Amino acid sequence: MAAVPTDSGSRPAAGARFFCTAGRGLEPFLMREVRARLAATQVEYISGKVFFTTCSDLNMLKKLKSAERLFLLIKKQFPLNVSSVSKGKILNEIERLINGDPESWLNTVSTWKNLLELDAKEDKLFQRAANLPKRKGEENDINAKKLKTEQLQELQENRECQPEKQIEEETQEQGDFLTKREKSQEAFQNNVVKAPDAQNQNKLTFRVSCRCSGVIAKAFTAQEVGRVTGIALMKQFGWKADLRNPNLEIFLHLNDIYSVVGIPVFRVPLASRVYIRTAGLRSTVAWAMATLADIQFALPEPRVRNVPPNVTTSIGMLRCPLAPTETRLSSEGSASSVDISGDRGPEVAGAFVLDPMCGLGTVLLEAAKEWPDVYYVGADVSGSQLLGACDNLEAAGLKDKIELLQVSVTDLPLPSESVDVIISDIPFGKKFKLEKDIKSILQEMERVLHVGGTIVLLLSEEHHRRLKDGEQRSSPLNSKGSRTDEPEPGVKKCLNPGEKTGMSETVPSSFQSSNQECLDRMPPFGSLVPVERHKVSLGRTDAFICKYRKLHSSGL
Amino acid sequence: MKLLTHNLLSSHVRGVGPRGFPLRLQATEVRINPVEFNPEFVARMIPKVEWAALLEAADTLHLVEVPKEPIEGYEHDEKFLKKMHHVLLEVDVLEGTLQCPESGRLFPISRGIPNMLLSDEETET
Repeated sequence: MAAVPTDSGSRPAAGARFFCTAGRGLEPFLMREVRARLAATQVEYISGKVFFTTCSDLNMLKKLKSAERLFLLIKKQFPLNVSSVSKGKILNEIERLINGDPESWLNTVSTWKNLLELDAKEDKLFQRAANLPKRKGEENDINAKKLKTEQLQELQENRECQPEKQIEEETQEQGDFLTKREKSQEAFQNNVVKAPDAQNQNKLTFRVSCRCSGVIAKAFTAQEVGRVTGIALMKQFGWKADLRNPNLEIFLHLNDIYSVVGIPVFRVPLASRVYIRTAGLRSTVAWAMATLADIQFALPEPRVRNVPPNVTTSIGMLRCPLAPTETRLSSEGSASSVDISGDRGPEVAGAFVLDPMCGLGTVLLEAAKEWPDVYYVGADVSGSQLLGACDNLEAAGLKDKIELLQVSVTDLPLPSESVDVIISDIPFGKKFKLEKDIKSILQEMERVLHVGGTIVLLLSEEHHRRLKDGEQRSSPLNSKGSRTDEPEPGVKKCLNPGEKTGMSETVPSSFQSSNQECLDRMPPFGSLVPVERHKVSLGRTDAFICKYRKLHSSGL
Repeated sequence: MKLLTHNLLSSHVRGVGPRGFPLRLQATEVRINPVEFNPEFVARMIPKVEWAALLEAADTLHLVEVPKEPIEGYEHDEKFLKKMHHVLLEVDVLEGTLQCPESGRLFPISRGIPNMLLSDEETET
């Protein structure tokens, strides 16, 4: 299929080039999502950013679930040459990002305007129809708060030498209180400010947010780079700088691997959901877990399933050998879009999905938003967490989709083999002192899960280690006496980012090493056979998303 | 708590085993919530329903028009499915108790959430 031209396209029909920031470990999920949800082409990723082309409008873009923030791409190129001793020469390079290719800038700004205009038109209709008067009063306070947090973020961003991995943490802090209406009002306001100036680009106001890391951060502070960029923009296009409430935000990220410039599409990060009042687990991770659980393939009736021992699923494909219809996502290049929310056929409706340690219900909320025709039950020992979950459900309008129980995960009052899917974030860290150990938890989960059912867990490194160590001593499935050095049955092919998709060559070495670990250390747990494992970043710590499938009755 | 959920819950008090089901329902506050009707969803639930337990609970709540058993060809019988949809999904017990039929242990339901936590002595080994 012919490649879509990479110019930042002024007409949405030609497809615009975007990029998203993503938490470490979530990039493959995001790549799969943009292909499925947005029919994206030319999808590639480099360390924390996923680049893609799509014709989708803002409404579809808003739906991205595994991304942190979304940007229109102005420029992506090789890192700046900082070998020169002369600061002046380096500053010239920064300036050249702008005056070397003003076309790209103008084209992208034009695309951006088109996107917002389209959205504002749709929103006008939405606002008239929706009519929520009680929101009015809150709006002013919220906007004031939002401005303040934005300024805080501004200050944060201009600090020196920010290590890349901390970036995604910051985005969690802002925008919790904004609702969809506020967001759409933002876009509308943006447009209103711009509209009279549509003819005259000179009146456009802007602000530059800059992040520098690696070698360039040693030569310059983010503030200096931002300033140089700002001045160059003013000179080149005649735009006016406005640090408080600009029309246009420019995002500049310089490090040892690339130089990327873009325009943030939304003020509030995508990761901050309008429908979640109080987030527990990061919603992006929660959604990624739900996608691994094969909810759309879960068949409610208990059956014995014939799963070959080496079930391989790589994140590049939504392939489930048990499903009546195989949904294989298009490989990079072809434009067929697959509805990631699953079709409304009989295999979707009626599956029983349980989160036995649901806390505030984040995982269930993400799943229920994506696959609503399913029976969801959340359970937790803590009454206060459940009340928080109740609150969240109500705010999200999902009260009649998700039932709540106050029970202990090691003692579930449910019949054996009655649950189709279990998804859970096993609490860890200093705040949560688990009284029961991870093995008793997994045992009870195994009991209630029916054969062929799926478990997706988020495990801390410690939990993961405990499971791995314990099992290797007993290794029940490796009966026949001998303990071989071969990988255990059911050992999965973990995510291998380098293959199958036309991706950028820079595969971070951390992925390759976790691949190796993967192949060596994923033992089965009773009748639960490991299928996949993904290491993801939760900000300050890392964790593993582990997927298991129940092969046979646990009683055996 | 919906009746669909009640239909699954059993008591795990030590020693009761299968006699911990079904839990006897007592409700002091019930709400009827309209829920979007999805015939496939309901049809999928029918084979899993424990009918005696469902009828007992429906009776306690004085529900009318509750089918006594699955009928032939229920998957395509919209009238039947709608009645089941109502009983299983639209009746929400907000306040009340669930009682273990064997041990008599009471589990409270508050704000629609049943609390079935057991103390250490009560849990089965």
